[in-house]
Amino acid sequence: MSIDSAHIRNFSIIAHIDHGKSTLADRLLERTGTVEKRQLKEQMLDDMELERQRGITIKARAVRMGYHYKGELYELNLIDTPGHVDFHYEVSRSLACCEGAVLLVDAFQGVEAQTVANAYAAINQNLTIVPVVNKIDLVHARVDEVLAEMEQSLAIDAAEVVLTSGKTGLGVDELLAAIIERVPAPTGDPNGVLRAMIFDSHYDSYRGAITYVRLVDGTIKRGQKVRFLETGTTHEVLEIGQFVPQRRACEELVAGQVGYLVCNIKDVKQVHIGDTVICPGDTIAAPLPGYKRPQRMVYCGLYPSEGENFEELRDSLEKLSINDPSFDYSPESSEALGFGFRCGFLGLLHMEIIQQRLEKEADLDLVQTAPNVTYQILKTDGTVLEITNPQDVPDSGQIDEFRQPIVRTNFLVPVEHIGPVMQLSTDRRGTYLKTEYLSPTRAMLTFDLPLADVIYDLHDKLKSVTRGYGTMDYELIGYMPADLVRLDILVGGKNVDALSIICDRRDADRRGRSIVKKLRSEIDRHMFEIALQAAIGTKVIARETISAMRKNVTAKCYGGDISRKKKLWAKQKEGKKRMKSIGSVDIPQKAFMAVLDTGVDRA
Amino acid sequence: MIPALAPPRSVYVHVPFCRHRCGYCDFSLLAGRDDLFERYFLAMACELKRVPLPLALDTLYLGGGTPSHLGPAGLRRLFNLLHGPLVPVGTAEITMEANPSDVTGPLAALAKGFGVTRFSLGAQSLDAATLRSLDRDHSPDDVRQATATLLGAGLSVSVDLLIAAPGQSLAAVEQDLEAVIALGVQHVSVYCLTWEKGTQFDALRAQGILSVADESIERAMFEATIDRLEAAGFEHYEVSNFARPGFRCRHNEAYWDCRPWEAFGPGAARYDGRERITNHRSTTGWMTRVLEGQDFTGDRDAMTPEEAARERVVVGLRRRDGLDREEFRAASGLALDTIAGAAIVAWVADGLATDDGQRVRLTREGLLLSDALWQRVLTGRG
Ligand SMILES: Nc1nc2c(ncn2[C@@H]2O[C@H](COP(=O)(O)OP(=O)(O)O)[C@@H](O)[C@H]2O)c(=O)[nH]1
Ligand code: SF4
Repeated sequence: MSIDSAHIRNFSIIAHIDHGKSTLADRLLERTGTVEKRQLKEQMLDDMELERQRGITIKARAVRMGYHYKGELYELNLIDTPGHVDFHYEVSRSLACCEGAVLLVDAFQGVEAQTVANAYAAINQNLTIVPVVNKIDLVHARVDEVLAEMEQSLAIDAAEVVLTSGKTGLGVDELLAAIIERVPAPTGDPNGVLRAMIFDSHYDSYRGAITYVRLVDGTIKRGQKVRFLETGTTHEVLEIGQFVPQRRACEELVAGQVGYLVCNIKDVKQVHIGDTVICPGDTIAAPLPGYKRPQRMVYCGLYPSEGENFEELRDSLEKLSINDPSFDYSPESSEALGFGFRCGFLGLLHMEIIQQRLEKEADLDLVQTAPNVTYQILKTDGTVLEITNPQDVPDSGQIDEFRQPIVRTNFLVPVEHIGPVMQLSTDRRGTYLKTEYLSPTRAMLTFDLPLADVIYDLHDKLKSVTRGYGTMDYELIGYMPADLVRLDILVGGKNVDALSIICDRRDADRRGRSIVKKLRSEIDRHMFEIALQAAIGTKVIARETISAMRKNVTAKCYGGDISRKKKLWAKQKEGKKRMKSIGSVDIPQKAFMAVLDTGVDRA
Repeated sequence: MIPALAPPRSVYVHVPFCRHRCGYCDFSLLAGRDDLFERYFLAMACELKRVPLPLALDTLYLGGGTPSHLGPAGLRRLFNLLHGPLVPVGTAEITMEANPSDVTGPLAALAKGFGVTRFSLGAQSLDAATLRSLDRDHSPDDVRQATATLLGAGLSVSVDLLIAAPGQSLAAVEQDLEAVIALGVQHVSVYCLTWEKGTQFDALRAQGILSVADESIERAMFEATIDRLEAAGFEHYEVSNFARPGFRCRHNEAYWDCRPWEAFGPGAARYDGRERITNHRSTTGWMTRVLEGQDFTGDRDAMTPEEAARERVVVGLRRRDGLDREEFRAASGLALDTIAGAAIVAWVADGLATDDGQRVRLTREGLLLSDALWQRVLTGRG
């Protein structure tokens, strides 16, 4: 039942969030008879709960659809891509498995930042673009203008654009025809030396790791042995198959096809996205290009509120990481917080997802330190240190160069908001690169910005200065030297290591001031006065005081009051959750996030 | 060892009626519903049947609400209901709360006739402006007249004073203190205004119309109160209570000694030495349930001996006499240091308490900050 590659089409749908990708994908599944209408529980492809809540697709998924076109049966593999910038690398690996990409643009919203970012990613991989203007049923659809924007920003010929509505199903047949006519069939030799690209994986509690592959050359048969080139491990293939959209086992997959492998792998960490699957002993098989180790961009410390829960936290992190190889953790200790873990994430969204899962799945009270990006330090002895925790910054005497990650950032904004966006970027020490006009009313601004200044709140700020119309996207371009310092925070005269941050020396005063001010509002009064200080080395640059509690005594405690009052007194216990006592000062969880307060825009 | 349950020798009766509801008040009461007096008496008669035998009493307390708002006829009716099931001993302290403007010679005589020994007057202030800001319907002169009448009738008088009222200055509090001392009463209770949820004051505060006094000013007011009343010969014997020697409120002392007591009426709480049971808080809810023979209890707070002992530490230390180790062990069956030893050592080190090996007392500083101490005692943590 193997299919010749001339009848295979592998493609992704790429779009800015909310442009209707999931809805349109549902229509394709329906139209091809892959899923019946009533089975379609909302949007099939985003099947993870958290992701659905956030309305974003995080993990790639692949579905095989069979479709008869001009009397012939085609196998269409739709490879879904994550929509969020945290998952850039996963997107690039998914695209590497396709020959074409359906570029979806909302008929009202027009071209947005992720439209451009995704389109470039697809063009860079030499994919054939099938441009689509979607949601043309909208009353306010402005199809002509959107066509012009696409032409201007991405050099797309308006004559090639397919008009669709995922809602009504309009244009879906035309789109399927365009995919078959325009997207090239995979090349690759079914009889050649086996090479398959791993583009995703997920964990199944019964079968272990499910590895998603695209066969580039050769054939995989059930029962054979395979080798993962990068990890260097060998496995027996217990099952192979395709997602239709459930798993459906088959006997073999051939060059050009997309499917999955089950190999009795208990730990997803052994399955690296971008790795190449070959036959064991095949010394001539070259790795497929583009492999990168998962790159954690953001780190934070996670500590149990109660020190004794350390082992429980370790178990929960272990469990989570089995499911998500891009998340990383290692034990660390902090003078202030005791024993905990340094955890690495692809980005802030990824961090939030992991955190929510931890909370949901393990009933643990956690204290989380503020996230920071990774830095590099070139030491005077010529070695390079990777810094994932501000505590690890060596003495300034040992630092030759302090480098921070820089991202190239595109903002797509209505022209009347160009000024405020320029301001936002220059406030964050961005380097202006260019402005391109997509239309008389919309422009794309490009800046190089420090990642640290982008991830925390730039997206929110952008939305607020553009009244929701601005969008942004960014991509890491490398590490650049900067005048960075470690800013320490002292509470009651004690340096609280978990509150230290790294920032630009020129921002230190402002950051320091706003952090101690924020802390003052987050930490409750105690029986004694508490000094809050921000310092660089031994030099204090900002100071606030929390004055001592002056009076705190219940006036009435008679017969009818006692039970109720007792509850109030003891209830302070609940407020104690997510608190850490440092010295004799109780610091609530929220205070650890106070260091994210940039102090910008509120002078 | 669980101490055996003794029969209660104190009774509280809740009278849930007032002329109008003051803006800061969140008690169980109905304002302007005099039409419900009769139903209340019926329900009270019914609840009193809970007590099988006549109870011999050392103290009886009629609180509210405003018991004096029942008027002479209503009071007569209430006392007649109580006498019978309740039998105060000859030396019993019988207290009744009253609104200054309700007090007249005949009322005093009537109360005295029913055995009342002590009046607690809801004066709140002796300054006209403060009284207005507190939403009270009596004048400073009403207070002076009422006290004179009661004292003249040979009754013991306690006056409630409220401090840290909206907009009140430290000087105003000091003037109020002088005026209260000049009344010549035996007992004064001073309360810092608390902004209870759901009150009109709290709503006005949320709207920014009323503002809460600064903590430092409140402290200064409270310290001035202690200093001034002590100088005038009052003993400061509990957080909010001051008495001339021999005139402490024996009824309230029963609460703070954790002795068992009975209580009747909506929202009234009774304690048998192991469990505190609070009646249904809403007046109409309580009446309906009692009269229809349904369960009218609300919260139940059952305590293990250790929990009861922890509570005893808290209410005990709110008294200026503090806790005596021997008395504590005799009453609770547990050693004070087992319950709160580490905390006591820490408080002494921080100047919040003194400990002579026998008796533990909070210092003034400790008392002023005491709410922050109790979590540790009540939860037994740290
Ligand atoms: N009017 C209209 N609305 C659509 C269409 N497709 C999607 N939507 C709506 O647009 C929103 C985003 O759609 P979704 O498929 O979740 O977008 P995704 O984020 O790109 O996957 C949802 O509220 C959809 O109901 C369409 O063709 N027409
Ligand atoms: S008189 Fe007393 S009980 Fe009645 S409403 Fe006013 S404060 Fe409350």
